[in-house]
Amino acid sequence: MPAPVPERFLVSKSTLRFDRLMTFVIRFGGIAIVLAVFGMCLFILLEVIPLFKSAKVEAVSTVPLSSSSEKKSLPKIFGLDEWSLLPFTYDGQNTVRFIDRTGAAPTTEHSVDLPAGAAVTAWRYHPGDQKIVLGTSDGQVGSFTVSYETDVDAAGQRTVTGSIEMGSFYPLGTPGQPISDVDFGGSGEDQLFAATQTTPDRIELHALLLKQKRTLMGSGEVEEIGRIDLTSQLKGRPTRLLVPRTGDAVVVATTARTVEYFFREDDTLSLRQEFSPMDGAAGGSGEIASMDFVFGDVSLVFTSPTGAMRLWSLNVPPGSDQRVFVYTKDFDVLPAGATLFAASQRNKSFLTGSQATVTLRHATTTVTRWEEKLPFTPTSVAVDGKFEHAGFLDDQGILHLYEIHDPHPEAGVPAFFHRVWYEGAARPDFVWQSTSGNDEFEPKLSLVPLIFGTLKGTLWAMFFAVPIALLAAVYTAHFLPADIKRIVKPAMEIMASLPSVVLGFLAALWLAPLLENRVPSVLLCVIGIPAAAMLTGWIWSRQTARVRSRLRPGLEWLAFVPILIGTVALFWNLGPSLERAVFDGDFRQWWPKTTGTSFDQRNSLVVGFMMGFAVIPIIFTISEDALAAVPPSLTAASAALGASRWQTVSTVVLPVASAGIFSALMVGLGRAVGETMIVVMATGNTPIMEWNLFNGMRTLAANIAVELPEAPVDSTHYRTLFLGALVLFGLTFILNTIAELLRQHLREKFKLV
Amino acid sequence: MPAPISATTTPAPDDAPPPATMVEVRDFSFYYGAKQVLHSINLQIPEKQVTAFIGPSGCGKTTLLRNLNRMNDLIDGIRHDGDILLDGTSLYDPSVEVISLRKRVGMVFQKYNPFPKSIYENVVFPLRVAGRNGRAELDEVVERSLRSAALWDEVKDRLGESAYGLSGGQQQRLCIARAIANRPQILLMDEPCAALDPVATLKIEELMHDLKKEFTIVIVTHNMHQATRVSDYTAFFYLGKLIEYDRTAKLFSHPGNPQTEAYISGLFS
Repeated sequence: MPAPVPERFLVSKSTLRFDRLMTFVIRFGGIAIVLAVFGMCLFILLEVIPLFKSAKVEAVSTVPLSSSSEKKSLPKIFGLDEWSLLPFTYDGQNTVRFIDRTGAAPTTEHSVDLPAGAAVTAWRYHPGDQKIVLGTSDGQVGSFTVSYETDVDAAGQRTVTGSIEMGSFYPLGTPGQPISDVDFGGSGEDQLFAATQTTPDRIELHALLLKQKRTLMGSGEVEEIGRIDLTSQLKGRPTRLLVPRTGDAVVVATTARTVEYFFREDDTLSLRQEFSPMDGAAGGSGEIASMDFVFGDVSLVFTSPTGAMRLWSLNVPPGSDQRVFVYTKDFDVLPAGATLFAASQRNKSFLTGSQATVTLRHATTTVTRWEEKLPFTPTSVAVDGKFEHAGFLDDQGILHLYEIHDPHPEAGVPAFFHRVWYEGAARPDFVWQSTSGNDEFEPKLSLVPLIFGTLKGTLWAMFFAVPIALLAAVYTAHFLPADIKRIVKPAMEIMASLPSVVLGFLAALWLAPLLENRVPSVLLCVIGIPAAAMLTGWIWSRQTARVRSRLRPGLEWLAFVPILIGTVALFWNLGPSLERAVFDGDFRQWWPKTTGTSFDQRNSLVVGFMMGFAVIPIIFTISEDALAAVPPSLTAASAALGASRWQTVSTVVLPVASAGIFSALMVGLGRAVGETMIVVMATGNTPIMEWNLFNGMRTLAANIAVELPEAPVDSTHYRTLFLGALVLFGLTFILNTIAELLRQHLREKFKLV
Repeated sequence: MPAPISATTTPAPDDAPPPATMVEVRDFSFYYGAKQVLHSINLQIPEKQVTAFIGPSGCGKTTLLRNLNRMNDLIDGIRHDGDILLDGTSLYDPSVEVISLRKRVGMVFQKYNPFPKSIYENVVFPLRVAGRNGRAELDEVVERSLRSAALWDEVKDRLGESAYGLSGGQQQRLCIARAIANRPQILLMDEPCAALDPVATLKIEELMHDLKKEFTIVIVTHNMHQATRVSDYTAFFYLGKLIEYDRTAKLFSHPGNPQTEAYISGLFS
């Protein structure tokens, strides 16, 4: 047994206990911080990942739609209600049936009142307003509307009941001849029926223009204002006919492989464009197998019999002033021409397919979101209003209901980072426009303008801040006498503590209007101040030692301050004269006229100054610390060897302090990249992509600040903002990593051991 | 150790003609703020001799040394009376360019302080700041200076490598090479061996014998053995006053002042 240790050598129990406790607390704190950071990254990542998932479409149930008596004849039309609880069928004659999907409620039948003696020969279903357009055997066109009513009882159980509402019938074209295809468009005043009619010797194309009067009491009488026979303007026999929901056009595909686009102006309908949509498609000779509108009725999806698929969109081509269809996109090839088509009523997605192969695609990104070969032969397809269910009707009259889970069809790498050709745009481009007042609006979610804006703001700010901050730091650390440095350093640190909202406020309400009128003065000062400083320095350096010795070394700035004030006053007041002489009297007019880019009051100049102001103290403080930390033995050695102060700084101090200065720049850069409030308040937040100094920008950080409060949780917009945050994080992460590597390299190169 | 000190070198005999004066310190007083650290110093430093400043810590010997090339100018709140003349001209004349003064009066510091550059760049630094960048001249200066500093043979194959790869003694000799690269008239050495081991110290001391053929050397040292080994003249400072200044052999063998005697015999330090 070892001898007992004398008590004076023992450690007291409480010391040991406290030591263990503190070790635990510190370890816990460290781990908690690491976990918190990882947790945040994980949260952002989880928010972002769904954006990049493809659609999930799964079979949920089957519902027999044909009653046993009519097993052989399939319903002509079927549709889904908003919840896909009560599908309806229309048999093409007099009967609309509402069939409970679960079979719990009995099937209800509603009768369609057709004009006397007429049979239905053409039909068309518009799922958007659930209108069924009919054409009859005796040359009349009309419509009825399926409407649903949803009740939610106290238990939260939803019951849906359906009914139909008849519209008017109008004679069209040659009386007594059957209508072979029909469509209708129009939701407001202007309404339009278009129909093809089979006469013994040809197929005719007729249009009926209607105008619904608006009175103080609401919608009034519908008045016929024109009947137009368009047959003579067709190249071939019409095969497919579409009227957009605006009711201002008729689009007809013909056997001559052309599409005729008739546009309505008041009571006339004239041919605006004729085009061959599938011209040159691989494996075909340009025949059109199908033609359908995607949501919004601005873009047409065409397929050829060989399965090639193209998108044509209405836009105004350069050099024209009319909206015409322009070939914008190609899709993946289908096995054959599309026989199925249903457009989502929520976004630009559509379900299409030929034979058993069905596919869900997005018109804007052209991405195939889902594709599958079905175990049955679908004859038609419908999508419910919420884009949550798709129904396929097979050749046995059985409805196969599928659940669509595709919350972010418009998202994906191409939408965020590639040029996208949006409807109505003249060319593919990077666009950020996330919200609008319009229902049919398509969010444009390119992050590229935001990344660009972030870099633009940062660059202009650094352009302003870095020279000032670094030169100030060098001067403070190695030129200024210590007693003055004791005032300057804390003053700059106080400047760093100014809240950025105050700076943003000043930028927006004081600096922006000030600079707006004085751009030439600012330009003169930017050139003039460094020039004056260098000139003063040069003149000073030419003086004899006797003259220079009048000012204590380090106090030369006393001589420069009056010169600086004089220079600024001179150039500031010289600005308007320069403006008159060079810039036609008004720079704000001259700049757009000369460069073709805009001049905004809230521009990069303002942001550059103000964000520079926010960044200067950070860069100054850190780099001043680095410069002052250079061992005095080195500066003394340099001075003793006959180096001037500037030579000492440039050849000895700067290399040794370079790693620290580099850190300072990177911390400043990080601050500028992530700066939010100044940018929100002073840039105008326009997501444009121009390096122009005189217009604004929208940065990732500002974008998040501005839009996150308005983005519904878990929407595409919301997740995209998180993606913006992730990109911002990635940006700073990459910058910091590169910076750290370079810093290590510099430190290794100039280490003082 | 209060053992008698014997000079191991043979300075000029007492009866030799006095050498020409290089630096003359006249009634020089010096203040850090309100504190006076030098009191009316009068001293003549002879040309191409080694003059040692000895004395206990805080006696002002380093302050005087650092005034000889006006390194104290870098400090705030300093003031001086009297004058220092270099070759008959005042160092403090307004027309004196401090930078050119420091080119005339080189300095080696207590702690070796090479720049974080290559050996080559360290040596040529004084030439580069003077705007002399001719490759041939620099090469020649590097070799001459390193030879003078007895370092050439040790580093000639690695001139491009960092100076921090050298040992302490080598680094200090590099600093000496750097200080003499531009051939100053005077070389100030502020306890050049304080941070070195005995072997390195010996090398530096040997070096000083060679250097004084070309340069006037002023050395501050705490080590009285060193003073006797390397110097021809010794000045003893105490509490900011010059107590005694004489030929080294004489000062150590027959000190004229009891304070000097007490100090050199180790009664206080």
